[in-house]
Amino acid sequence: MLKKIPKTNEMYLIIVIIIYSIIVTMVNKSFMSVENVFDILRSGTGQAILGVGVLIVLLSGGIDVSFTAIAISSGYIAVRAIMALGIDSLLLAFVISCTVGLVFGAINGIIIAYFKIPTLIATLGTLNLFHGLLLTIVGTRSVNAAQMPKCFINFGAAKIFTLTTARGSTIGLSVFIIPLIAVILFTWFLLKYTMLGRSIYAIGNSTESALRAGINVVKTQLFLYCYVGFINGIMGVITVSEVRWVNPVYLVGTELTVIAAVVIGGVKLTGGSGTITGALLGVGLITILNSTLVLLGLSSSWMDLFVGAIMIISIGYTSYQRKIENQRLLNFM
Amino acid sequence: MEVSSLSLNKTIKKIDSNMTILVAVTFVLLTVLSILLKGSFLSLRNFQSMAYQFPEFGLLALAMGIAMISGGIDLSVIANANLSGIIAALILTQNITNETTGNQLVLIIILAILTALALSALLGMFNGFLIAYLGIPAILATLGTMLLFAGIGMAITEGRGVVGFPLPFLYIGFGQLSIFPLPLIIFIILAIFVGIIMSKSALGQKIYLLGANSIAARFSGIENNIIIIKTYMLTGFLAGLSSILMISRVNSAKIGYGDTYLLQAILVVVLGGVDPAGGKGKISGVILGIIILQSLQSAFTLFGFDPYSKRLIWGLMLLIVMIINFINSKHKERILRLKNIT
Repeated sequence: MLKKIPKTNEMYLIIVIIIYSIIVTMVNKSFMSVENVFDILRSGTGQAILGVGVLIVLLSGGIDVSFTAIAISSGYIAVRAIMALGIDSLLLAFVISCTVGLVFGAINGIIIAYFKIPTLIATLGTLNLFHGLLLTIVGTRSVNAAQMPKCFINFGAAKIFTLTTARGSTIGLSVFIIPLIAVILFTWFLLKYTMLGRSIYAIGNSTESALRAGINVVKTQLFLYCYVGFINGIMGVITVSEVRWVNPVYLVGTELTVIAAVVIGGVKLTGGSGTITGALLGVGLITILNSTLVLLGLSSSWMDLFVGAIMIISIGYTSYQRKIENQRLLNFM
Repeated sequence: MEVSSLSLNKTIKKIDSNMTILVAVTFVLLTVLSILLKGSFLSLRNFQSMAYQFPEFGLLALAMGIAMISGGIDLSVIANANLSGIIAALILTQNITNETTGNQLVLIIILAILTALALSALLGMFNGFLIAYLGIPAILATLGTMLLFAGIGMAITEGRGVVGFPLPFLYIGFGQLSIFPLPLIIFIILAIFVGIIMSKSALGQKIYLLGANSIAARFSGIENNIIIIKTYMLTGFLAGLSSILMISRVNSAKIGYGDTYLLQAILVVVLGGVDPAGGKGKISGVILGIIILQSLQSAFTLFGFDPYSKRLIWGLMLLIVMIINFINSKHKERILRLKNIT
């Protein structure tokens, strides 16, 4: 029974995505072109990496709204640091960005693990704290494409392989897919085969039983928030390279859309259940929706309405089923 | 029996000591600020400008406080206020022409206000329905409706502001009764109303019980579902009232107004001694929290802080308050345990 639910949930999502894609293709043929698919993959990468981070926190029974601030802070600090140092190296950019992400993640972890503050309230505080720190200390100046260090520009333009279309233009699959796959594989291995990963599921299901089973809850929470911060650092470099300019107020304010996407992917906000595949499908659906509303003749103003409605329907459905199940089992939780 | 009555006494004492600390903090803060800022803080003008600003935020904080006492949270209050405000603004702007007479104008304004209030209560009821009958955790349900309400408003307005209200409507946001601004009077009436509901009425007691232990509440014959719906209708209604004050003060309605209020509302509520886990806290504490935050807010403006450093300070303050509460409760627990052993 437990094994069946996530599977069907993911199947539903795949069916929804396929049907939606067919409808969009019927309205506008350019949707199914290789070029457009590559474009959606490229623009969805950053969201997908953030989605993996959100997934891990949700699995542990928490909710994190500070990740956009962490991602943009690490990306922006990396750009400014590289500009100041004059060393044009992508590796250094990743090192700086991931270190900043790790430190911010560790602050989240310490506050949540040691002081037992409800995660939403804690991360709402750190969202404002991190973003406020970035804007007051590092600055509010945006960096445009001309000032941007070459390593970010090249990383944003790099392709794994290129194809030549019938019209003679070249299109290619962005190199962004490599860090994404690395993050996905590593996280999948972590969640499935390591003690730490299983502990994350365990504390998400029930902190009390996890404690009694001898799991170190404080250590697990500290680790997972550090890891999520690290992932957000990777996203920081990608987002900066993708848009080729950086404004320190970019990204903040979109956290709910990413959380909604992951929740739509069948990850329960109450913790303990959910898969990477589901989270990625949820992010995929939202990314496709976001890039096709214009093709369907609707303005982008309709985006939040759709995301909100889909989110309420999907969590309403799963919550209601659990409620019925609880009633059947005379479980008064 | 003795132990339980002892712990009950303890909790009552704890809440009261929290209130004393809050009152003391408020007084010290006001004194320090008035010394630091000399004339500019203690002037009638500063108090009046504060009294125009905080009621719209104060109503949202009261709403958040009620939701948290019930053991939930209402993240959708600002989106709800924005959407109701937009609908009221559309009624005000679309129906009024140059030929509209004075009486018609008054009728249209009353219609706009009533529609906004009814809509906001309805949106709140929708929240309550999702939480009570579908069993969605409050945090998730209101996160979803926050996106949905803002999305509807966004789709209606395409992100643009609705501007240009008739003069009599603006009176709500700008008017004065002798030296007291009208928004302040509305806030005081509502604060007393909410205070009485929460501390004196049966509904209030049931909300506290629900927040303290929903299973116990259920087994003592309380219709949890009905109480949840009433709770969120009340928070929605307060959001609607806040929207009227908001749009009449800035003379326009738009999605995104008051986004910063969400963090501040949660800050004020935990600052005022409400336990986010539910069941504990007082409306008077929330009101003191609102006063503290507004004094700091206007002091920061007088000091010339930019909005970013304000965000930093609010975020930091929220974390510090929560950490102090945690250490405090740990400390009290330890003393209680020691007493029980001896």
